[in-house]
Amino acid sequence: MTGEGDGDRRTWIGHVVAAIVVLGIGASLYFASLQVHYEWRWERVPGYLVSTGGREIVAPFDGTVVLAPDGRSLTLTPLLGGETVRVEGFDRVEISDGDIVFSGNTLGREAGWSAGPLALGLWMTLKISMVSLVFALVLGLGAGLARVSSSVAARDLAALYVELIRGTPLLVQIFIMYFFIGTVLSLSAFAAGVAALAVFTGAYVAEIVRGGIEAIPRGQGEAARSLGMSAWQSMRHVVLPQALRNSSPALAGQFINLIKDSSLVSIMALTDLTKAGREVVSSTFSPFEVWFCVALLYLLLTGSLSWVVRRMERRLAHE
Amino acid sequence: MNESATPLIEVRGVEKRFGNGTRGLDAVSLSIRRGEVICIIGPSGCGKSTLLRALNALAPVTAGEVWIEGVCVHRRGVDLDRLRAKVGMVFQQFNLFPHLTALENLMLAPMKVLRQAPSIVRTRALDLLEQVGLADKAHSRPAQLSGGQQQRVAIARALCMQPDVMLFDEPTSALDPEMVGEVLEVMRALAANGMTMCVVTHEMAFARAVATRVVFMEAGRIVYEAAPPSFFDAPANERLREFLSERR
Repeated sequence: MTGEGDGDRRTWIGHVVAAIVVLGIGASLYFASLQVHYEWRWERVPGYLVSTGGREIVAPFDGTVVLAPDGRSLTLTPLLGGETVRVEGFDRVEISDGDIVFSGNTLGREAGWSAGPLALGLWMTLKISMVSLVFALVLGLGAGLARVSSSVAARDLAALYVELIRGTPLLVQIFIMYFFIGTVLSLSAFAAGVAALAVFTGAYVAEIVRGGIEAIPRGQGEAARSLGMSAWQSMRHVVLPQALRNSSPALAGQFINLIKDSSLVSIMALTDLTKAGREVVSSTFSPFEVWFCVALLYLLLTGSLSWVVRRMERRLAHE
Repeated sequence: MNESATPLIEVRGVEKRFGNGTRGLDAVSLSIRRGEVICIIGPSGCGKSTLLRALNALAPVTAGEVWIEGVCVHRRGVDLDRLRAKVGMVFQQFNLFPHLTALENLMLAPMKVLRQAPSIVRTRALDLLEQVGLADKAHSRPAQLSGGQQQRVAIARALCMQPDVMLFDEPTSALDPEMVGEVLEVMRALAANGMTMCVVTHEMAFARAVATRVVFMEAGRIVYEAAPPSFFDAPANERLREFLSERR
């Protein structure tokens, strides 16, 4: 016999078992890292997120430096002749009196906090995901509606789109978008990335939308048509609102996939979170900490998105 | 031709073949004149619902003609949506829009199809909800209503389009027995007010009391039709006599 208290205790034991398994895996990872004599440098990680190095001040043109006595400013005389320019705002000068500098060389730094490479990468990932999401929604909604439309041509085109996209790897699609379509239309790396992600996600959104529409009982459309509504009005005011609400969990899942899939755009000249991680690793030789940190940042993005979606669902359910 | 002579809806020799070759309707002719209440009865699968869907051109027929308010629906360029707006329909499964409140269910089509001002539609919708005894449920969602209440909202929704004729497709068949009465009561009141109606039903007592003409269908054909007294008390048709005796 299982009473209610018994069930509670079993749930509790289950949680403990799960925790032990997780701790066990963590411990074995740690001991494995000892085996390869890995030197953990966790203290460096915050620096990749927020840089305290300050803002770099660079030379605007080629010239000769004359330091001011206050140590916070200098004058630069152009090598090719012209007006001498005063540069100010230094907290630390990284150049000596009389040096010749070229355009773009570092003159010194202004103290203060700035975003580190990982934070910049996170921002790029967020930006490309959100822009792609908007386009994917529009594209997916259009293709999903085309899939159930009465026009045979529209149905064929939408089916072709969905099959082509779902049948080829995203990485290959990104290459095609970047090297072929991007070159032909001279798209920026960002635009090509957004296009690839939106086209890819749109195909899956289209299938979700189609499934949602087909799951609405036929009587709904019949009732709308019997009231004199056109096919479009019936779709727009009766079928689609119900279909979208029912498929919102599937759509949310697809958008979480979009954030993760966006890591593939790092193969283009786009410094997203994954590319930033690779750059930091190659300059610091701390791959373990950096990749764990990158994974955690992705988890932060996807976790907060699914939290927002859960809240929205609860609000809809209350209505 | 004066107005009362033109049927609101007329079907002439309509035939409906389904994809598998079976015949849903076979040479059916029927006309509905203003003020008539026609009840269609018959065994299940005899084509009653198919006929009703042909009457408002919701399902296309494979042969024959359907005329709504003197307009042939098969003619090219006919605005079917506008014709359908004049023909109200009530379904067996209610088919209320679950994402809208009762009031919004009533208001949607008049606002979108007839493009009437929300304030005007709202007043009429609240009036209609009161007529069907659901004034206090205006802001409830269909899921919060009983079957009988949902069907009464569905009737009010169809009426809110101010149709010339109302079609009912077995409006009480999906209801628990104790809710049948409240829906039939609304339909009785509607008929008493002079609404033209065509009702597919198994409620013999309702048909006898309210109908001006009763139609018996079997195997996709209209087999017999008569006014209620002779239809029920002295049917001159062997199959109908059998059908009626099974129902007693």
